[in-house]
Amino acid sequence: MEKNSKKAMIITLATIGIISALLLTFVYEWTTPYIQANQAKKQKQAINEVLPKVEKIKEVEKNGSVFYEGYDASGNQVGVAFISSGGGYNGVIKIMIGVDLKSNEIYKISILNHQETPGLGARITGKKFKSNFKNKPFGDYTVVKTPPSKETQVQAIAGATISSRSVTKIIEDALGKINSAYGGGN
Amino acid sequence: MSLDFKQVVSDFKNGLWAENPIIRLVIGMCPTLAVTNTTENGLAMGLATAFVLISSEIVISLIKKLIPTNVRIPSFILIIATFVTFVDYFLKAFFPGIAASLSIFVPLIVVNCLILGRQEAFASQHSTPRAIADGVGMGLGFTWVLVLLGAIREFFGMGSIFGFTLLGEWYRPMVIMILPAGAFITLGILVGIMNQISREGK
Amino acid sequence: MEEFTQILLLFISTVLINNFILVRFLGICPFLGVSKQVETAFSMGLATTFVMTLTAAATWLINTFILEALNLPFLQYVSFIIVIASLVQFVEMFIKKTSPVLYKALGIFLPLITTNCAILGLALLIPLNGYSFIASVVFGFGAGVGFTLAIVLMAGLREKLEFGDVPGALKGVPVTLIIAGIMAMAFMGFSGLISM
Repeated sequence: MEKNSKKAMIITLATIGIISALLLTFVYEWTTPYIQANQAKKQKQAINEVLPKVEKIKEVEKNGSVFYEGYDASGNQVGVAFISSGGGYNGVIKIMIGVDLKSNEIYKISILNHQETPGLGARITGKKFKSNFKNKPFGDYTVVKTPPSKETQVQAIAGATISSRSVTKIIEDALGKINSAYGGGN
Repeated sequence: MSLDFKQVVSDFKNGLWAENPIIRLVIGMCPTLAVTNTTENGLAMGLATAFVLISSEIVISLIKKLIPTNVRIPSFILIIATFVTFVDYFLKAFFPGIAASLSIFVPLIVVNCLILGRQEAFASQHSTPRAIADGVGMGLGFTWVLVLLGAIREFFGMGSIFGFTLLGEWYRPMVIMILPAGAFITLGILVGIMNQISREGK
Repeated sequence: MEEFTQILLLFISTVLINNFILVRFLGICPFLGVSKQVETAFSMGLATTFVMTLTAAATWLINTFILEALNLPFLQYVSFIIVIASLVQFVEMFIKKTSPVLYKALGIFLPLITTNCAILGLALLIPLNGYSFIASVVFGFGAGVGFTLAIVLMAGLREKLEFGDVPGALKGVPVTLIIAGIMAMAFMGFSGLISM
C-alpha cells in the first residue's frame, strides 16, 4: 500500500480516530463519578452557606423552578434555597439565596458567579455588601448610598451602584418566585 | 539506537531560553495573557500545556513513519485533541478549583500553535529521546514565563503570590494588573526587557 | 420583538463590550502577527468572520444533534476541531473556485484560521452559554466583527508607528502588546454600555 495513497490516508485517520474515541470513553467513565461528586459537594457547600445547620437537602420543582429545601438533623425544615440569575454591569450574576419561610426573612446570600469589575462591582462578594442581606425581612428594597436607616434599604458599594442595584433586583425577583411557589406572606 | 546525550541536553535547553516559545517564538499567546492573573493559574496552565506537548511529541515521534505526509496535520491535531480532553477531564475530576479557573483555556490548548508547531518542526522528524527533551524544554520554557507573568500580575494586582498575601492592608492594589489591559502591558514590558537582555549578551 | 432586542444586544456586546481579542484574549496570535498593514488585517478579519459564522452554526448543530443526543460530551473537543479544520478546507476550496481574485487576496490566511484560538473558543462558548441557533450565529458573526475591528485598529496604529522612533528592545512584539494594552483600556469604557 503506497504511503500517500487515498486508502492509506483514510485508514490512518480512521485508526487514530477510533483509538482516540475508545481511549476517551475510558477516561470519561473513569472520571465521571469524581466530577459528579465534586459538583454535588460544591452545591451542598453553596446551600450550607446560605441555610444554617442544614443536614439534608431536598430538591423540589415548583412552577418550573428548582428549589432546595433544607432540613436539620431532627428533620425540621430550616428554610429554602434558590438560585437566581440576572444581568449585572458586566454580565450575568448568579446568586444563591437562603430564606426562612417561617419568619419571612432572608438568612444569607452567596454570589455564585459574576463578571463584575474587580475592585468595584466585584465587591458584591465581600462581607460588607452581603451583610445588607443578612437576616433581612422580605420587602421592596431601595438602594441608597448612605448607611441604611430602614430595614428595606440596601447600601450600595461606593462606585458600583449598578452592580449593587443589579444584585438587589435579582434578589427581589427571587423572593417573588419563592413567595408564589410557597404561597408565603407578603 | 545510540543516545547522543549532548544533543538531547541541547534540545532541552533550547526551549528554556534561546527558542523560548513565548518570548522568542511568540506563540501560545492566548493562554499567556488570559490565565496569568494569578501565579497558581499560570503554573497550572504551563504544566497542563507541557503535559500535552510532551505526550504528543512522544506518540508522534513513535509513529511518525506510519503517517502519510498528506494527512499529517489532521493526524497531529487529532492526537493533540485526545490528550487535551484527557487533561480537561482529569483536572475537572481531581482539581476542580483549577479547572474552573482555567475554564475554556484548557480545551484551547488544542489550538495552541506551540504544540502543533513542535510536532511539525521537531517530533515528526527526530528520535523519541530528542522529542522528549524538546517537549520538556519547551514545556518548562512556556511554564516559567507564565509563572513569572502570573506572579507579577498577582503581586501588583492583589498583593499576594500563590494566594499568600505578602503586602499588608496598606497596599491599594493596582487592579488594572488583573484586567486584560494589565496583561498586555506587563507582557509587552517583559518581552522588551528580555529582548534587551539578549541584545546586551551579544 | 423581545428576542430581537436580545439578539441585537448580544451582537453589540460581543463586538464591543466582550470583544474577543481585547477582553477575552482569544485570537492573539493573528492579532500580533497579521496586524502590520490595514489591508491585510482587513482581509484576515473578513475571512475569519466568514469562518466564525459558519463554525457557530455547524458546531451548534453537532453539539445539539449528536453530542448531546447520544451523550458523548467527551468527544466535544475532537469533533469541534475536526469541524473547524474541515470548514476551513471547504471554505478555501469554495473561494478558490468561485472567486480567484478573492482567493488571491485571502489565500495564505485561510489555513492559518484553523489554529486561531478564537474559532475554537467561540465554538466552546456557545454550549457554555446555552445560546439558541440564531443567537449562536449572531454570536459568531459578532465575534468576527469584533475581531476584525480590533485587528484593523491595531494595524492602523502600527502603520503610523512605522514613522515613529521605537527603542530597539521594544520593536515588534513588545510595543504591539503595550499598544494592545492601551486599546484594551479604551475598550473597557464600553462595559456598562448596556445594562442587561
